[in-house]
Amino acid sequence: MTTAKRLLINAGIIVLLILMPLIIKRSDIITWFYLTLLYIISSHSWNIIGGFAGQQNLGHAAFFGAGALAARYIWLHFGLPLPLALLGGAVVATAFAMIIGFPAFRLKGIYFVIGTLVLAEILRLVFDTILPRADVMPMSLLATYSLVSRYYVTLLFAVLTVGVVYWISRSRLGLGLMSLREDEEAAEASGVNTRKYKLVAFAVSTFIAGLAGGLYAYYGVAIKPGGVFEPVWTFDAVIIVFVGGVGTIVGPIIGSVFFVLLQQFLSVYLPGGIHVAVFGVLFIIVVLFLPGGLIELVTRLRGNFARGGQTN
Amino acid sequence: MILEVRGLSKSFGGLVAIKDLDLSVSKGEIVGLIGPNGSGKTTFFNVVSGVYKPEKGIIAFDGKDIAGLKPHRICQLGVARTFQLTKPFTQMTTLQNAMIGRMYGSEPVYGMRQAMEECEGILEFVGLGEKRSTSASNLGIVERKRMEIARALATKPKLLLLDEMMSGLTPTEMEEALRLVKAIADSGVTLIVVEHVMKAILDISSKLIVLNYGEKIAEGDPQDVVKNPKVIEAYLGE
Amino acid sequence: MIELVAQTFVNGINIGALYGLVAVGLSLTFGVMKILNIAHGEFLMVGGYFGFWLFTLLGLDPLYGLPLVAVAVFLLGAGFYKLVFSGLARLHEETKVKNSLLVGFGLFLIFPQISRMLWTSDEQAITPAYSGGSFPILGVRCGYVPLCALVMAVVIILGLHLLLTKTYFGKSIRGTTENWKSAKLMGINVERTYLITFALGTALAGIAGVLVAMTQTISPDIGMSWTLKALIVVVLAGIGSVGGAFFAGIILGVVEAVSAIFIGPYTVALGLVIFLLILMFRPQGLFGKA
Repeated sequence: MTTAKRLLINAGIIVLLILMPLIIKRSDIITWFYLTLLYIISSHSWNIIGGFAGQQNLGHAAFFGAGALAARYIWLHFGLPLPLALLGGAVVATAFAMIIGFPAFRLKGIYFVIGTLVLAEILRLVFDTILPRADVMPMSLLATYSLVSRYYVTLLFAVLTVGVVYWISRSRLGLGLMSLREDEEAAEASGVNTRKYKLVAFAVSTFIAGLAGGLYAYYGVAIKPGGVFEPVWTFDAVIIVFVGGVGTIVGPIIGSVFFVLLQQFLSVYLPGGIHVAVFGVLFIIVVLFLPGGLIELVTRLRGNFARGGQTN
Repeated sequence: MILEVRGLSKSFGGLVAIKDLDLSVSKGEIVGLIGPNGSGKTTFFNVVSGVYKPEKGIIAFDGKDIAGLKPHRICQLGVARTFQLTKPFTQMTTLQNAMIGRMYGSEPVYGMRQAMEECEGILEFVGLGEKRSTSASNLGIVERKRMEIARALATKPKLLLLDEMMSGLTPTEMEEALRLVKAIADSGVTLIVVEHVMKAILDISSKLIVLNYGEKIAEGDPQDVVKNPKVIEAYLGE
Repeated sequence: MIELVAQTFVNGINIGALYGLVAVGLSLTFGVMKILNIAHGEFLMVGGYFGFWLFTLLGLDPLYGLPLVAVAVFLLGAGFYKLVFSGLARLHEETKVKNSLLVGFGLFLIFPQISRMLWTSDEQAITPAYSGGSFPILGVRCGYVPLCALVMAVVIILGLHLLLTKTYFGKSIRGTTENWKSAKLMGINVERTYLITFALGTALAGIAGVLVAMTQTISPDIGMSWTLKALIVVVLAGIGSVGGAFFAGIILGVVEAVSAIFIGPYTVALGLVIFLLILMFRPQGLFGKA
């Protein structure tokens, strides 16, 4: 596909997304779109550290949550304007990540994975204990609550996020991150400062994750502080990236759409949380048999072979 | 003297891998490093390239002590290496593998286009020009070895450490490999080559150093060294 | 005052024995196959519910039901191993570890939902007639049930120890742990050893599950927190120290019980913090080899 054609398609999609709320007035459908966009941001942020750099950060929720709580407080309790709150949330998340990242990346492979998982758990437990009650939006804001404006803000950041990831994937930074994923020892031997670039990937990833958290904080009417640290925020992002196609641009986007659709669809027809189990099964199938996710499925059907930055 | 090693020692737990090693390499030489299995050759490479930190000793590269520095730092100073069992970036193309070396090596480049162009040239040099868009996972073993060398060369090294590149090659492939090594030397890169294939190493080395149990037991002209009784004994004893 | 301390200790040891039991199962699996089963706690949960079923549907005292549950979870574990983990067992270590984590994570998504369907979200417990009773030893109240659980745990650990050191199977486990390639050359059926080890690990979790159902309550979501508990203990003991895992479990139990007096609801978080600190500063744990 030529660049011009691709650009046109992308522009077209964005235009459609901008026009959507003007045409479709049903708030449940707008909510679906909103959720999809939120997931795109959250999953792509994980994609940077987990998909490109290959560091399985299972503590994603810790930074999503940190961003969410910080943004919420800055916006609702200190009364600062939204952009500042979102930025503040993202900065808090990143600062937190850098403090954790320095010692965390000294941990080898599996210890890093478990360590990050445990970190998110600690935060969830602590916040569940010290702030057990939900934080509710004041009446004044509820009266003027606009789903559509939240949708547009999230759309903006979703487009920006995809743009950033796209830029990274075609840059020197992206290549360096991928070398971390492929073979750290060989990367070091080729001059890549693995420690530094892990931190860079982590910083970018958690900044965007914090942003996603902030966007969620802006959206949620009532939010339980412990709730934003729940493992589900990590797992949703990880599942989406894997099922969609880890380390790709389009993967998390397709994954997010697929995820929200399936979630809405299944929760109607299947009792309780069975749709989660369905995702679990899909996830295992992808990990064992189709590591490249849906993207790999499509690619295989098309008969390409080279992966990595080239085919994107 | 591009590399001067004095009193180098490295142990793992109780096991002494390198003991009080003195060694020097002049600019432009091709030095062959040989010795029976377990004599410390690959450990030596690992210590020089920064994978391990030595307990004692100085490793003076171009006048600067690099002992204990991180591997990426040592690479940026001009020392590159290949691995005995190749370590390709499998989900990247051959060209991308080389580009990592070019972009992060000793004269780092930040523009993708420049890196691409220059690496295409390097791939041509090692004979992989046509494979540049092939995924590294689809390369055969000989091609992988070449790619490893290309990636190392892309870092613009002054010193290149080649670890057993001849293993598993057919005689024809070995001839080609030898030609490549000579071409690399001609381009101004100093080489230390670890090898088991005697014929190959006698062919290209200007100097031979023999290790046994982590100590240097012989050094000098290749033809003399192979006749050295201590060397013969070391190999027979294995 | 001294009675409070003593009571705390006893409570700590009781729960610590359970921690140890769960951890030993995880340590076994990870030590032998380098597969970290994040769904380990799920097998505990399932075992607890199996025991619950035996108790409520058949009136079977949980202590008699233990062997049945052990066998059932053993078979379940073996089945899942064959289904999802066996393909990973012989991969290059880094990929294997990463993929087995992901697969375990997938199971973690599935198990609670299925169990919610079968047993509802309500907390359940196994409460045989002697549940509430206790008797005093030197002024400390020892509940019948926790004491039984402690005794069971110790018996099982000893049995495991004998299995690992005295039987051929135990030797094949140790041989495979050292070096699976040499083990294979010596005629050990590595595949089968892995299968049985994994199933054994999950069976231990299942047994612990029954004991947990007796001393606390179980619900579909307890799996992950028990997996994390087992992880803390395994890391505390040091990867590779199977016996040490039991003692580390007891240590953790006592530490938690004592700190509960001072920091109450943050106790669990404390355990996790200890875990992180150990990972960073003494990754070989208390008993492990560096």
